[in-house]
Amino acid sequence: MTISLRRLAAGLCAAFTGLGLAAAPVRKIQFTDTRLKNGLRVIISEDHAAPVFSIAVSYNVGSRDERKGRTGFAHLFEHMMFKGSENVGQNEHPYLMFMNGGTMNGTTNKDRTLYYETLPANQLDLALFLEADRMRSLAITKDNLDNQRNAVQEERRLSVDNQPYGRTFEALEDLAYENFAYEHSVIGSMADLSAASVDDVTAFFKTYYAPNNAVVGIVGDLDAKATLAKVQKYFEAIPKQPSPPAVDMTEPPQTEERRMTLEDPLARLPRIDIAYKVPPGSSPDTDPLSVLATILSGGRSSRFYESIVRQKQLAPSASASSDETRGPGLFNVAATAAPGKTLAELEAAIDAEIARVKTGPIEAWEIEKARTAAKRSLVTSLGSSLSRATLLAENALFYDQPDRINTQAENIAKVSAADVQRVARQYLVKTGRTVVLTVPKPAAARGGL
Amino acid sequence: MSKGTLASAAILAVAAIAATAATKSPGRGLAAGARTAALRFAPEQGGAPQPSTTQMVLKRKAPVSSEVLKVKLPHPQEADLPNGLHLMVLEDHRLPQVTFQIIIPGAGGYFDPAGQVGLATYAASMMREGTTTRTSPQISETLETIAASLNVTASLSGMSASMSGSALTEDFDKLMELAADVLLNPGFDAGEWDRFKARTRAGLVQQRANPGFLAAETFNRVVFGAHPASRVAPTAASLDAITREGLAAFYRAHYVPDHAVAAFAGDISLAGARQLIDARLAGWKKAGAAMPTVTDPPPMGVPKVSLVARPGSVQTTLYVGTQSMRRTDPDYAALSVVNRVLGGTMGRLFRHLREEKGYTYGIGSAFSATLYRGSWTSSTSVRTEVTEAALTDLLAEIAELRDTPVPDSELADAKRAIVGSFARDLENPQQVLGYYLDNWTYRLPADYWDTYPARVMAVTAEQAQAAARKYWAPDRLRIVAVGDATKITDTLKKQGELDVFDADGKRLQ
Repeated sequence: MTISLRRLAAGLCAAFTGLGLAAAPVRKIQFTDTRLKNGLRVIISEDHAAPVFSIAVSYNVGSRDERKGRTGFAHLFEHMMFKGSENVGQNEHPYLMFMNGGTMNGTTNKDRTLYYETLPANQLDLALFLEADRMRSLAITKDNLDNQRNAVQEERRLSVDNQPYGRTFEALEDLAYENFAYEHSVIGSMADLSAASVDDVTAFFKTYYAPNNAVVGIVGDLDAKATLAKVQKYFEAIPKQPSPPAVDMTEPPQTEERRMTLEDPLARLPRIDIAYKVPPGSSPDTDPLSVLATILSGGRSSRFYESIVRQKQLAPSASASSDETRGPGLFNVAATAAPGKTLAELEAAIDAEIARVKTGPIEAWEIEKARTAAKRSLVTSLGSSLSRATLLAENALFYDQPDRINTQAENIAKVSAADVQRVARQYLVKTGRTVVLTVPKPAAARGGL
Repeated sequence: MSKGTLASAAILAVAAIAATAATKSPGRGLAAGARTAALRFAPEQGGAPQPSTTQMVLKRKAPVSSEVLKVKLPHPQEADLPNGLHLMVLEDHRLPQVTFQIIIPGAGGYFDPAGQVGLATYAASMMREGTTTRTSPQISETLETIAASLNVTASLSGMSASMSGSALTEDFDKLMELAADVLLNPGFDAGEWDRFKARTRAGLVQQRANPGFLAAETFNRVVFGAHPASRVAPTAASLDAITREGLAAFYRAHYVPDHAVAAFAGDISLAGARQLIDARLAGWKKAGAAMPTVTDPPPMGVPKVSLVARPGSVQTTLYVGTQSMRRTDPDYAALSVVNRVLGGTMGRLFRHLREEKGYTYGIGSAFSATLYRGSWTSSTSVRTEVTEAALTDLLAEIAELRDTPVPDSELADAKRAIVGSFARDLENPQQVLGYYLDNWTYRLPADYWDTYPARVMAVTAEQAQAAARKYWAPDRLRIVAVGDATKITDTLKKQGELDVFDADGKRLQ
């Protein structure tokens, strides 16, 4: 089989002169958007730039769908998806992927569970077959469950229990949220992971892993029409299921600051985390909040860096980021105190910068910076079939707007300084925030060795 | 916060810290004008032997294309400039952005004087902290307003410094104007140096909380002794010993174009790049400097086991490894293949220690090979209780590859995994350029990557086993563990003479 690559524009474009080129608009991503008879939504975008394709299968289930006593289950379930199905052996899926030049993984967050693969273009059937077989006929056994429970518990130890500040983020969400959906962590508790049963897996699979509860995004060196036919061949016979129960995401309004101090035997420097409540990603305020985060902590020209890190030398770094989640989000600020500096000094400096952004002028270049960053990020996603497949599927699943990939940068460009100040005043308020101070447990208490 | 099924490279590759300069394992890369052809493998159908494992079953019902896309990477266009600078351009107009990298041999941490470990690394970092006409905040503001990046880095053990950056095409000239100012007129301002030191000091403290850092630091010292390859982090003492005058002097002596390369990938032509260099870097004059040279690390000392006591640990971070080879070693392909079988994704370590035994979330192995001998490491983090069992199994997996030839089907899979991944590299021009920068750095033949797939496919089971025997001989392997010393000391003593350190690197016994 020979695939001839198109010589995209090479030799056709004028030689780059390096002098005063006008800004070119970024090309739109074209795609088809189809719903199969069983409710599976399929989004396909052709791109023949390289002889590869990516597929992203986003299931409408995340840790927010978990019930009390089963935290961590959505992610544990994700691990089960690699343990075989009717026509695929245990671990055969990842083995075939990697041994054929591909790459793949699964990932779970609060809002969705995503499975993805990138492969050479001639392995499209392989990827579709494997994704369809496990959606239709997952092998649910006690042996598989026990096996992956171990892996997940080690994942928790690696990423949380054995890391400095590992428990900080869990404590922050636990305190910030009252609604169970977002209050608990994605990784879950050791006790809940231990309690998960085969019956839980069976019920979860039937409820959430239905074709009508998923979106498939496929991008790359393929023919859209032929690909849709293949998707139909592999997926369309998988039976539809009743819609899963809607998740109540209601979060009672927060009326006063919440605060706690956490001792961490693995940390060496004290750290402050502040979380302000912000609206869901579908809110029109999401874009101004994103620009606000860029102004506060995007790069070294940011206000946090210049003031707190560089001038006052209170912290080696200071970050701000605004969640884009399906339910109520958090605007997270985090900084570690430099040796000899206190958390009180650091908090005062952070508060001063937040006060300044609410009332003081915002420079034109700060707004321009957010605009170009969004454009650059769009261009970068054009260079990766996986990034586009993921964004198309997720934007369809979360917002019913796969085209959001094309409009996001334009929307960011519309945000004004006044918008930024308005959302800062509205959401970055002390009564709506949660503060966690993490302090190193004194060395003496750590024990000799 | 999201959780995945396989450990991300960042989590797994504690080895990344240990890796000296650059093993660019096949798996990066792009290109307009690339061509692909097919390499046909005997299809493996039912009945074919399975790779040994109890938690993997190959039903072989999935429709696998038995052809492997054999990708021919596009070659860059090249030119030599009068000041010694070598120019490489990988032209690719698919996206309106350009990436560049300038590599300057002689300006890396390898050349740090004794007692000033970190000098080259800090000199590189400080170049962005202001020029004779621009302050540090002015540089940041200009760059970030156009969403461009510009970094100067030099690793503690590498022989080169590297300046790299990227921007949208429309802003690339502006980026190059800034880059040239940073490269030719760094200010090394005293006030900025004081600020930099304060920030850096915090990082030197923080990293000692990270078990992967502690493992890499000790492992490199054990494997490389006092050779520059051993350097993982500077100390507070060496930071104090470095002055702004020292930085400026290092810069003047080492940032010369005589043996440097400037490489561009993306929406730019050779002529365009040449024009930019002529316009922006005309002041970078040949210095008459000799080509810097490096020597191999000395042979490792007597086998020992090392333990870094990290109170409060609930896992043991394990490194088992040794010295590897130079990048030009004829064994490179064979070690790549046998390493893929052992510690590549879905390789034996993953299948057996994670999937069968459930000791760990992630495990793998990797090696670095540079102008001098690099290292090979297998690494994992396991819950404290299974430290002994996991270490025993890890060593047994290595022994198995020394003692028994890899079955044909498993060997074919590993080779296909390496060769097949080149197709994905074609998505990214920067990655393909990385391969050709390796050609330049290690003086590999011009057709090196054209013939690489065939070299990988030609590796036999006997050659793979010979590489395992040679590089993973029992007396060459060194063991480093980071964890709760009250629980794992006895386990480690069973593996040989034990050195114990605290988390500050101080010897305890």
